Amino acid sequence: MSDGDRALPATSALADPTRSSLRTRRVGLRHAVEERLWRGGGRVASWIPIAGLSLVLVVLFVKAWPAIRLNGLGYFSGSQWLPGNTYAPAVRTHGVLHPLGASYGAWPLVWGTIETSVIAVVIAVPLSIGTALALTERLPRWLAQPLGFLVEILAGIPSVIIGLWGVLVLGPFLSHHVYPYVANNLPDVWGLRYFKGSVGYGEGLLTSGLVLALMIVPIIAATTRDLFLQVPALPKEGAEALGMTDAEVTRRVTIPWVRSGIIGATVLGLGRALGETMAVAMVSGSVLGQVAPNIYATMTTIAATIVSQLDSAATDATGFAISNLAESGLILAAMSIVVNVAARAIVRRSSRLAAPVGRA
Amino acid sequence: MSVPYAVGEGYARKVMDEVSKSEVVPLGIDPVLANLDPDQGRPRQVITTEGLNLKFSETTILSGVTMGFDRGTITALIGPTGSGKSTFLRTLNRMNDKVFGFRHEGDVTLDGESIWAPQQDLLTIRRRVGMLFQRPNPFPMSIRDNVVAGAKAHGIARGKQLDVVAEMRLREVGLWDAVKDRLGDSPYRLSGGQQQLLCLARALAVGPEVLLLDEPTSALDPISTEAVESLLREMTPALTLIVVTHNLGQARRISDQTMFFFDGHLVEHGATAELFTSPRERDTDRYVNGLMG
Repeated sequence: MSDGDRALPATSALADPTRSSLRTRRVGLRHAVEERLWRGGGRVASWIPIAGLSLVLVVLFVKAWPAIRLNGLGYFSGSQWLPGNTYAPAVRTHGVLHPLGASYGAWPLVWGTIETSVIAVVIAVPLSIGTALALTERLPRWLAQPLGFLVEILAGIPSVIIGLWGVLVLGPFLSHHVYPYVANNLPDVWGLRYFKGSVGYGEGLLTSGLVLALMIVPIIAATTRDLFLQVPALPKEGAEALGMTDAEVTRRVTIPWVRSGIIGATVLGLGRALGETMAVAMVSGSVLGQVAPNIYATMTTIAATIVSQLDSAATDATGFAISNLAESGLILAAMSIVVNVAARAIVRRSSRLAAPVGRA
Repeated sequence: MSVPYAVGEGYARKVMDEVSKSEVVPLGIDPVLANLDPDQGRPRQVITTEGLNLKFSETTILSGVTMGFDRGTITALIGPTGSGKSTFLRTLNRMNDKVFGFRHEGDVTLDGESIWAPQQDLLTIRRRVGMLFQRPNPFPMSIRDNVVAGAKAHGIARGKQLDVVAEMRLREVGLWDAVKDRLGDSPYRLSGGQQQLLCLARALAVGPEVLLLDEPTSALDPISTEAVESLLREMTPALTLIVVTHNLGQARRISDQTMFFFDGHLVEHGATAELFTSPRERDTDRYVNGLMG
């Protein structure tokens, strides 16, 4: 507390000793109290994120510990999700109490999370950049402003509503009119084989990816639009005066100018896609224990599994089912952290050439 | 940060060989122009304006400008702020076309053809009529990529030729020795004057015939200004330069012709020496002698 114990700060009222009337002295005292509150409050506030993050992780880790001990590394490669016989007497293995026959592997969940998020980001990033460019460079202002507002509204729609739309409208439509066409007409070569085969009923991997894309487009687009608005006119004019086309100006000046910001926005979207729970739980089919054999197949993600399995896991009196959900949650948290750290590294590397935003 | 290729005396020799064999134009001028016999083909005046009126919405910025720019000369555009000289300059490479509400009457010709003629290609006009801005505006890419950005876009050079172009243009503007070891670095770490020279190198790399300069040294210190000015003098008669400047000394030092704009009109134009020593109009006299402006 060395900072807070310092003498009264030299406020403007006290700076001139010839004017230290009673009133100025009182004002000076008020300033000093305010100053202390500010500093103290700031110090407390600065600890909140650290405390919050570590508390959550610690609790998650404690809850997950029995599962971690029993599953070992097999948790990452295993595919089955068997709660075991909760009516038979519980057994103890390596000191961990668990129902007879319980066996857990998170590989389908982890892989499903990665797949849906990657599909979402691959679709959403070009779409968002296109939207942002249209809003800032192409459309007249009377159209761009209401459209930009709509984009922001889309970002605020609860995910359960988008999930409902996905499962009632988008999924059936795609599985009737789009997926069969794609699956039947693609050549049967390696790499495209993943897009062939049974198209299912509209609940599954691709539908989840598309719904996620729809949910993160507004986030990335709104951020990217604000970035594009900050690109100064001068370098863009320079490129135009050099005889570049509008597309070249965009590709070679506007986008590189804010490249690190776009990466940041993408990570924001990716983080949302990784953790998105409700919508995915509704459109993924929530099928445990299988890695999707093709892009239309039903599957599940970590977040969707946690929400859909929590109820039944609570019936496991040994707590082992809950512990496994906690372990998968720990993996999800680790994935988000890794993504964020990696993004930071990429931003640092790519911003070496880019201009700081706001500099002409 | 390492340079993308080895730089040394051996390399310089190799570059010269490559240039002599390559398609790269060795000077910052159009290949046609380089081989041009001035008595044949093209008109003596590279750019002319005929009764040019410029308006933004209903506001008239400039009216009735009829003028010709001789090939290979430097013309200075002087006049107080708001007199329309910058708008005039930006019209010559059609930079104003996109500005909301911009309208023009009269005509501008480039080599005898209207720049707004339907068969004219805007990108080609901008390649032939380059521009340097008031403040340096390098692109967010490496120094080398900055120089060759336009040349690449116009397909003037590709692959290894781009390195040749970059080196030649940087040598031309006297920046090579300062940046040869950090061609891959960000241009924003260069000084303001160096950045402006980089932009000049970039403009030269597309082989322009005319260069429009909008107060090119107003953001630079005296030494950089001197460097730019001497470069501009060296670039004629290969290039035709049209320079907007608030610096009357600069207009006197570098230009052959001077145009004086005042209040939306071209008040007077003529040989620089004449216009400064014996102006015909009262406003010109007041402006060049510092009684107005």
